[in-house]
Amino acid sequence: MSSSNEVTSNRRTLTDTERRERFEAEALPHLDRLYSAALRYTRNPTDAEDLVQEAVTKAYRSFHQYEPGTNLRAWLYRVLHTTYLSMYRKRQRRPQESLQEEIDEFSLYDEASRVGGSAERIVLASLSSDEVKQALADLPESFRVAVYLADVEGFAYKEIAEIMDTPVGTVMSRLHRGRRALQKALATYARSRGLLDPGDDDIPPNPETEVRP
Amino acid sequence: MNGDHCVEGGRCAEVLERLEAFLDGELAADEVGDLESHLAECYPCTDRATFEEQLRAIVARECVEHAPEALVTRIRDHLADASDEAST
Repeated sequence: MSSSNEVTSNRRTLTDTERRERFEAEALPHLDRLYSAALRYTRNPTDAEDLVQEAVTKAYRSFHQYEPGTNLRAWLYRVLHTTYLSMYRKRQRRPQESLQEEIDEFSLYDEASRVGGSAERIVLASLSSDEVKQALADLPESFRVAVYLADVEGFAYKEIAEIMDTPVGTVMSRLHRGRRALQKALATYARSRGLLDPGDDDIPPNPETEVRP
Repeated sequence: MNGDHCVEGGRCAEVLERLEAFLDGELAADEVGDLESHLAECYPCTDRATFEEQLRAIVARECVEHAPEALVTRIRDHLADASDEAST
């Protein structure tokens, strides 16, 4: 009959190998998505690779803290988020980000409806991959990340709140304003092709409220 | 968002207030039913909801990438090293 000490040490030896196998099996399938997310955070492929590598290393090191059966995907994004903050936030030291107030009410659908016909569908069909990526990349960071986590990753408000360590109300407001701002940016592309009426409300970006790195 | 052109007046404005949370799957079941029954009978609101849904689908489709092979290899090697260190 083996002592409880033996059992514990046996289990720990097994765990080292098993832990890596489990991590590889459960976490590595998320690499494509983590890299996509990292690209939205850093907006640069080299930094995105560094961020993913660092985040995965951290996640592996603290994999024992992960409780099986809980949401592994959300936990990985939480690790990615905190890793990003420690790697890049300090370096950039940006002021509090905000969006202009009038962004709240912007609606691409309304803009297209004003043109009539099937302008709504035509506008959507005209958007290129690069334009969509650029419009998202141009959003201030906290808005960009919230929109990405909701619209691309499909996370719930509560999960996004946990990943970004912010109240659910803040997530909702970032999402709402971020999506409006994204639509406004997309409208600029559609307008440049003559698909929307020339905007008389197109206020040029105010350098005091629109922060770019 | 405005619901100026909607036939039902105040009802559309109130529905559109909750459209974003509805599309996010964040409304309670009874609210979902309420919103769906309005959408079923209101073309302008349905048209707008469809547009918002399609736009989200476009963003989702365009913003997914593949991790570079070199990165995947580097991460696997790194994990193998870290695992060896832990077991020695």
